[in-house]
Order: sequence, then C-alpha cells, then structure tokens
Amino acid sequence: MAQLDELIHQPLRLKIMAALYAERDGEPLEFARLKAIAQATDGNLGSHLTTLEKAGYVEIAKDFVGKKPRTRVAVTPAGRRAFRRHVDYLREVVEGAGGE
Amino acid sequence: MGISRTEAASALTDIEQTTGRSYERRGYRIAGPILITWGVIWMIGYLATGLYPQRGSLIWIPLDLIGLVLSALLARQGKAAHPAAADRGAGWRSLALALAVTAFLGVTFTLFKATSPEVYLVYPGLICGLIYSAVGIWRMTRYVWIGAGMFAASLVGFYFLQPWLAFWMAGVGGVGLILGGLWMRRA
Repeated sequence: MAQLDELIHQPLRLKIMAALYAERDGEPLEFARLKAIAQATDGNLGSHLTTLEKAGYVEIAKDFVGKKPRTRVAVTPAGRRAFRRHVDYLREVVEGAGGE
Repeated sequence: MGISRTEAASALTDIEQTTGRSYERRGYRIAGPILITWGVIWMIGYLATGLYPQRGSLIWIPLDLIGLVLSALLARQGKAAHPAAADRGAGWRSLALALAVTAFLGVTFTLFKATSPEVYLVYPGLICGLIYSAVGIWRMTRYVWIGAGMFAASLVGFYFLQPWLAFWMAGVGGVGLILGGLWMRRA
C-alpha cells in the first residue's frame, strides 16, 4: 500500500534512495559516485547513509582496492519496497488521491 | 501526517533528476571505452598518414571498419551491463551517424576541392569536434569539452604546425580522445 515514509522523504535521503534504486538489480554504488549523483557533501552523505542503514534500507560495505579504501552502498530489498511505496504515495498525492 | 501536492510534485521532480544523473553517468561509462578505441584508431591512422604521406591514407578504410565493429561490440557489452541506461536503437543511430558523416566528408571534399593536403588532414578533426560538441550540448555535457578541445587543437595544428600536422593530429587528437574516454569511464 502507498504510504508516506518520513525517513525517505528528507530531500537528500530521497536522492540517495533514488540513485541506489536506479542501479540494476540493487548493484552497489561507490561512495564518490553516489555523492556526485546525489549532489551531496562527504559529511552530509555519511550521516544520512547511517540513518538509512539503521532503518535497514541500505547496506554499506567497506573494503580495499589495492591499498585504497573503498566504500560501496547498495539498497536492500526492504529499502526498494519502502522507496516504491513512497513514490506511489507521492504520485497519488500529485494525482489528487491523497495528501492534504 | 500528509504532504501537499506541491511538495509531492517537487519530490517526484527530485527523483526524476537524480535518476537522470544516474543514467547519464552510466551512459558515460558505456561511451568511455568506445572513445578510447577511437583514440587509438585516430593515433594509428594519423601516424601512418604522417609517415607514409602517399599511401598512408589507405589505412583509414580498414581502421574505420575495425572501429565500427569494436564500437558495436563495446556498446552491446555496455548495454548488457547497464540495460536501464541503454538508449534503445542507439546502436543503429550511431552507425547511421557514422555513415552520414563519412558521406558528408566525401561530398564536401568533392564540392569544395581542398587546395592543400593539410585541409584533408584537419577537416575530420573539425567535424568530429563539432559532432562531439553537439552531442554534449544536447545530452551528455562532458562531450562538449572533448569536442571543443578537438576543434581547437585541430585549428592550432593547421595554423601553427602545418609541417607536422599529421603527427600533431595523431598525438593531440588520439591522446585527447583516450584521455576523454578515461574521464568518461570514471564517471
């Protein structure tokens, strides 16, 4: 059922979820790419990712490529479902079926 | 608690723009290896033309065919890896564009009858620069820088480095395309 997701609705978290949702089969995105797509800063992105991770909407994996640290983020199945519900809700509001 | 229609519409616009940026970046990652391929072809072709001015230009026919086949294979590979970013029919449109450009070059050479061999050397650089710039203005902005760089470098070679023009085009054009491809691949 379509419903407002307060957690996702925050503007930057919405962009993060949209960027991750656009990845094929929930493939992970590197932190730098996600930052560019979501037009965020390092600190901002990090704190919102932590919030989304605590909610179980994203998974964060850290590893090394050679000696270089790499952080990758992927949307979880629960995150995909929540994002879809939220987008459905937004569409319903725009089409006049919900909201105020 | 609900939200207003305006707020919902604004959120949907944000989602659409973010998704667009995501697809554009994946488009760059598909285009990067293709551009690198053409950089190598460009370099080999102009080096051959510079080293063997009489017959070197013949190498362009097999080189262009190899380039087209490799581009098709790389585009297919990229499409499989990033289906959402793939533009339906892009392969056929690219092939049609390549044929149209080849026909245009041939026709303009015939109609305007270039007065020196240097014009033949520089003209493809100008046309490619124009096409890349047009693609960039229309859709993928990074192409604007690659196209403008190619256009400017071709003119610099023509006006200031004519004795070494083929080598200039091989070095600057080829390396420029390879660097542009690497830049796109990192997007």
